[in-house]
Amino acid sequence: MSDVVVNVAGLAKTFQVKQKAAGLRGSVRSLWRQEVREVTAVSDIAFSLEKGEMLAFIGPNGAGKSTTIKMLTGILYPSAGQASVLGYTPWKDRRKLGYHIGSVFGQKPQLWYHLPAEDTFRLFARIYELDMGEFQKRRDFLVESFQIGDLLQTPVRKLSLGQRMKCEIAASLLHRPRIIFLDEPTIGLDVVAKQQIRDAIRYLNEQEQTTIFLTSHDAGDIESLCKRVVIINHGRLIYDNSTSALKRQYLRRKIIDVRFAEPLTAPFALPCVETLKQGTYGVKLEFDGRDIPVETVVQQIMATQSCQDITIADPPLEEIIREIYKK
Amino acid sequence: MLLQLRRTTTKYSAITMTNLQNQLAYVWEALNRAVFIILIMFVFIQLWTAVYESQGATEIAGLSLSATIWYFLIAEVMELGKIRHDERISEEVKDGSVAYTLTRPYNYLAYHFFNGLGETAVKMTLIFLLGLPLVVYYAGWPTLQPQHALPVLLVAALAMLLDFFVFSIIGLLAFVTEDTFSFRLIYQKLVFILGGLMLPLDFLPAWLQPLARVLPFNLTTYAPAKLFVAFTWAQFWQILALQAIWLTIFGLVLLRQYRWATRQLVVNGG
Repeated sequence: MSDVVVNVAGLAKTFQVKQKAAGLRGSVRSLWRQEVREVTAVSDIAFSLEKGEMLAFIGPNGAGKSTTIKMLTGILYPSAGQASVLGYTPWKDRRKLGYHIGSVFGQKPQLWYHLPAEDTFRLFARIYELDMGEFQKRRDFLVESFQIGDLLQTPVRKLSLGQRMKCEIAASLLHRPRIIFLDEPTIGLDVVAKQQIRDAIRYLNEQEQTTIFLTSHDAGDIESLCKRVVIINHGRLIYDNSTSALKRQYLRRKIIDVRFAEPLTAPFALPCVETLKQGTYGVKLEFDGRDIPVETVVQQIMATQSCQDITIADPPLEEIIREIYKK
Repeated sequence: MLLQLRRTTTKYSAITMTNLQNQLAYVWEALNRAVFIILIMFVFIQLWTAVYESQGATEIAGLSLSATIWYFLIAEVMELGKIRHDERISEEVKDGSVAYTLTRPYNYLAYHFFNGLGETAVKMTLIFLLGLPLVVYYAGWPTLQPQHALPVLLVAALAMLLDFFVFSIIGLLAFVTEDTFSFRLIYQKLVFILGGLMLPLDFLPAWLQPLARVLPFNLTTYAPAKLFVAFTWAQFWQILALQAIWLTIFGLVLLRQYRWATRQLVVNGG
């Protein structure tokens, strides 16, 4: 059996969007004259995903990410093209596929609001037809992975967003899905909660080779989890390569932080290097690797006066993504 | 085969049980809403006592005052206890959570039915128990014979199912229209007038009665209430046959509509 989990070819989706001019007049006119505009949400995309891969599927708002997820989980019928998820055509075999996939939508709750998460877990065990012994083992494993042992008995409405999200994701993993679609799972969370969720997802992927399909606006999620990035914009696939290639390709600019042993007496300047900030003991520099190699810059800095510390960093992934989106 | 049947049964009963637990979290709210029945029954009792007195009659269209009062309690229990899942479907489409509920391995409408059943059980029990003291005080205990209890229950169960079918048709329209409020309003008004909620069908003008009796609206409300207060086997069989016919018709419509609606669905957000 091949290890291809997702295979998409020529997938497209267009929506009819009703138009209405602003104000009362527009509302009244729309009563008898409906203007419909066709919007292409996804247009002719193709990619495939193998077992155990962690893919970041990113793009600006309205790029077509969620629409793609909804076609791959079988909620939306495509306007054209094919998709196969675990050998099923999602929109035709939605119910059968349901047993093998999981999804988490960061902005939509699935746990019962007034009940403790444990109750929803038990309900899902029944819905996914899990053996109760098997379910308990699975629940214990997820409780351990997500560190939610002390949260399970609390009504969901009393949990913080971070606590709730951990329970939400765990709930989607109870039936051991072979692929999980995570649609902005860390949205609105603090740094600690984000990290805990990333760690748990990575652990799960290592332990069970669960395929991860992640959309996120958080470069940290992408960098710490996914080896591969697919970028979609205006419904079209514009990039499909490894995360490191993305960085190599776009990371020509470097940032250097220098701390000197002695105070600086004059303005600091080097050829082909931009001085971003200058303090009494340090400078922050930026340069383009194509204009001048890193070694040369470092040598020049060392030649000026004695240094205590030099840090060379890439600009954050966020900046790279911003640059690609602008194109 | 047997194992699969057991799994399916536990699946849907778990949905009902979870909703039942959820209802307990809302029990005060449910009670507050159910208190409405005391008010409405009090108004009905005053109104119909006045009507019977002004006519100087012990019976109108074969129903005594006590029977009429009991009729309204049962009709209200049926109406107020109904599964209102069309609102829930509409909410799911609007907030996008249909992306969860539609991808799980169950029948989407069966999920809503068993989900609503938990709620309905709580609501019907509360409404009946709250209305009971007032009704017993004014109208005495009901005259239903024990051997008629089962047929009445059967008709009541089918009435609920029929109503569920209609609300499913309305609810699935949300896949396209998002909001279903206007459709629900029209249906509810039809039940009010042609379904026997405002007054028993027997009190309608003679020309309207035959039409009202074959239309589906009375089968969800009037049918169980009327059989409860004045059971006849002839009327029972007639109602049962009509319920079967309308269930078949709406069932076929639903089947087609479900396939159509899932193709039309547009999910908001994201």
